[in-house]
Amino acid sequence: MIFHVVKKELQETLRDGRFKISAAIVFVLLVVSLILTFNQYQYNNAQYIEAQKNERSLWEEQGEKNPHSAAHYGSYVFKPKSPLSLIDQGVEKYTGISIFLEAHNRNEAQFSNASDQTALSRFGELTPSFILLYILPLILILIGYDAYTKELEKGTFAILKSQGISNTKLLFGKWLSVLIPIVTITTLLFLFGGLILSNTSDIGVFNWEALGVLYIVYLIYYLILTNIVLFISLVTKKSGVALVSSLVFWVLACFITPKIASNIADSKYPYPTNQEFSKRVAEDRKKGLDGHNPWSEEAKKLEEEVLRKYNVDSVHKLPFNYSAYRMQKGEEYQAKVYAKHYSWLDEQAQKQENVYKSTSMISPFLPTRFLSMVISRTDYQSHRDFSEKAETYRVKTQEFLNGLTEKNSRYGERYVASANAWKKLPKFEYTPPPFSQILNSNTPMMLILIVWFAVTGAVLFFINKNH
Amino acid sequence: MFSYNFKYELKSLLRSKWLILLTIILLTLVLFAGYSGKKKVNKRVFDIEKANNTVKEQDIAVLKVLDSIEKGFVVNQNLRSLPTNPMNIGYSYPRVAAMYPLETAFISTGQSDLFTHYVQPKAYGDSFFFNHAEFSSPIQLLFGSFDLAFVIIYILPLIIIAFSYHIFSLEKENGSLKLMASQPISIYKWILQKTMLRFFVLSVIVVLVLTIAFIINNYNFVENLAEYLYFLLLTLTYILFWFTVVLLINIKVNNSAKNAVSLLAIWVFIILIIPAIIAQAANTFYPIPSRTKMITDVRALKDEVSKKQDKILDNFLRDHPEYASNKNQNYSFWHKYLASQDLVEDEVKPLIKSYETQLLKQQQWVKLWQYSSPAIILQQSFNDIAGTSTTHYQEYRSQVAKFSAKWRDFFVPLLYNNEKINTKLYKQLPTFEYKNPSYTSLLFKISIVLIMSVVFLLITRILFYNKSKKGTIIN
Repeated sequence: MIFHVVKKELQETLRDGRFKISAAIVFVLLVVSLILTFNQYQYNNAQYIEAQKNERSLWEEQGEKNPHSAAHYGSYVFKPKSPLSLIDQGVEKYTGISIFLEAHNRNEAQFSNASDQTALSRFGELTPSFILLYILPLILILIGYDAYTKELEKGTFAILKSQGISNTKLLFGKWLSVLIPIVTITTLLFLFGGLILSNTSDIGVFNWEALGVLYIVYLIYYLILTNIVLFISLVTKKSGVALVSSLVFWVLACFITPKIASNIADSKYPYPTNQEFSKRVAEDRKKGLDGHNPWSEEAKKLEEEVLRKYNVDSVHKLPFNYSAYRMQKGEEYQAKVYAKHYSWLDEQAQKQENVYKSTSMISPFLPTRFLSMVISRTDYQSHRDFSEKAETYRVKTQEFLNGLTEKNSRYGERYVASANAWKKLPKFEYTPPPFSQILNSNTPMMLILIVWFAVTGAVLFFINKNH
Repeated sequence: MFSYNFKYELKSLLRSKWLILLTIILLTLVLFAGYSGKKKVNKRVFDIEKANNTVKEQDIAVLKVLDSIEKGFVVNQNLRSLPTNPMNIGYSYPRVAAMYPLETAFISTGQSDLFTHYVQPKAYGDSFFFNHAEFSSPIQLLFGSFDLAFVIIYILPLIIIAFSYHIFSLEKENGSLKLMASQPISIYKWILQKTMLRFFVLSVIVVLVLTIAFIINNYNFVENLAEYLYFLLLTLTYILFWFTVVLLINIKVNNSAKNAVSLLAIWVFIILIIPAIIAQAANTFYPIPSRTKMITDVRALKDEVSKKQDKILDNFLRDHPEYASNKNQNYSFWHKYLASQDLVEDEVKPLIKSYETQLLKQQQWVKLWQYSSPAIILQQSFNDIAGTSTTHYQEYRSQVAKFSAKWRDFFVPLLYNNEKINTKLYKQLPTFEYKNPSYTSLLFKISIVLIMSVVFLLITRILFYNKSKKGTIIN
């Protein structure tokens, strides 16, 4: 019996001109968006590889130089593209691509794409995730809004019941028939995307597992939406009203809630301005040791300490270059200051994220949006992870460079390292956290999504029983 | 007959609940949007003021020290950091180059969440390379803000669609259309009057609600009346546009549920798909050159320059004989730096320029294609009115770059002529004032949206007469 319901409904959907047109449009949009993101991906990847190669050779071919000059010369590290950014580009447009690593300062990632584009790009972008998140739900509403109301309007509901079908079976049939077209489109997209990714050679660590989980997240999203659309169709009497109500839900869930959530998050836990943040850091830095300033109180304290420890009366008699030692101590202090302020920023981001999590109770769009970014590794957390690892590398680099001077020269000497010294600095290799770890830290989001499905499913089931 | 029709429709509108519902929804949305917009603007002003105050406090302290020195007192300060040294002032006491918000800034967030609103250029550092990025959560940037522009561009059409998608088809489905046809009024005139009445009522509500939001935000109507009127006019033409679309679909499709679906598809196209396609096309046709390449190029150049610094200083002094007079001067870090910085900036200029021109080309493209969707026209115009458009920030960047060069140049003669800073000179330090670019004619944009509406009305009229000839309007 369920089979008959599904067959009839699907046939009706497929015959419907509106569905044909919208399905064709969505298909074209999906293909176009996939091609566009793929091109962009390859372009960015090529840039990344070239820049990284250039950067390293610039560093290695500095020639003879004082290590601290080399530290000021600095180096850039670049963030690799994640393979699944093909599906969801997340916040990548707004986070920069490269970080400049130098002595004394921790820098933010610079040059986001968004700042290099016109205001128009804020409307949204033609990417697969845009279609998956916004347009496919709309198609789903189009297919399902009149699932029950049309039976009432055409007077076929009584006839249908007289065929001896139970409410539950009818519901299940309707449910499947709304879902099947959407699932087909999604499955095709993911298969196609997977094939592209697995057949491109210069891709990072692509695994089918992540793609599979991403696919499941979107499936649950569509399951929830199907529940809601059918629920609305059940409780309203007219197709027009059902359609408008479903649309109101769509607008609320996909457009209004995220914006309101972001407004609340921002006004409750605001970010400092760029200048304000650097000022705070500068103030803290003034309180401690500065490697370039041997006259400060802190510097004198350090000097006394070291002299006492080695039991000598002058820094000239120390077995290492004291100025490099002081430089390193200053570097360590500054790194600590940055760590403090950045961890405060991190907390702020975390609090904002909690606001989003709590608003996820109102909109199933939010947990899907976040999980999609998380799995594609294009979320804010992955960016912070990269930035954190770059900072660790920066601190290690300073240690290496100051160590060169400290070990190889005496106090008062100007040490010049040989041209091949720079090669000995280990390369920066960014390894993103393993997939299982990402998944573990995002189980709450996953749970919210599942709860959404369970609750909407249960409500639909009981309303239908008493219909 | 018009007055009967008018009275009847108005009465049924007033009696039905949707007018109250509509007013409540709009009032809540607009007030919330206006409130959060104003909050952002206030924060922006607060941040700038805070920076300004810090500079003012510093100035008082510095002037005190300078005054004491001039009067011959001994000051208790590290010799290296005395404010009489011009480069100390140039490096440690920068001015605030701020971009104050316009009074209309709360209308549209635009690009204001991406860029910073004040910087403090120093004598050291690249004027072209300023980091104008603001520190904001990327998730917030991704979702965007809930501002008045959003309510008007996205939500208002949906409200129009939700309440009027069956303005004509419902009469047909209820059977009242046949009754109407027997009355001494043409159906076309009647439905036109009915639609216009709704347009009129919604317009009154929207104008009222928006004005309330403006009043609450302490808007200065006397000084900025033109912006307020343009804003209302744009909104009203946009509402008119959507009503003509609704009417057209009602006549063309004439089936409530199908109307709603078609209108929604049009909404998605005009507001989501067309802007996305045009933005994508702009990026494809005028791609911004690789920033990673720029980074490596600039650094390679600087490396080269730093190796030749002594030679560059010689050349610089040859070009500026007025600075070379002081024969036994000891050239410091600053002498070399300032001499080579000019060279670096000259060399880098074309590279930096290529980014700005490419962005300009993208904007030209958008300017040309904005007429494909009233949503883009409106967003562009709102950003223009609010002073938060790409052009505004580009202008700010270039003004800051100029100011930064001016700031550095102020200290160059002082440094090379070995002059000291005194209270008189200190008061002559260059200051920055942001000048707003003038925006392109809004009236033209408004008339384009009006023309679109008229065209739709004409099409509707033709459709209507074709259909009524065939007799498919009523049956």
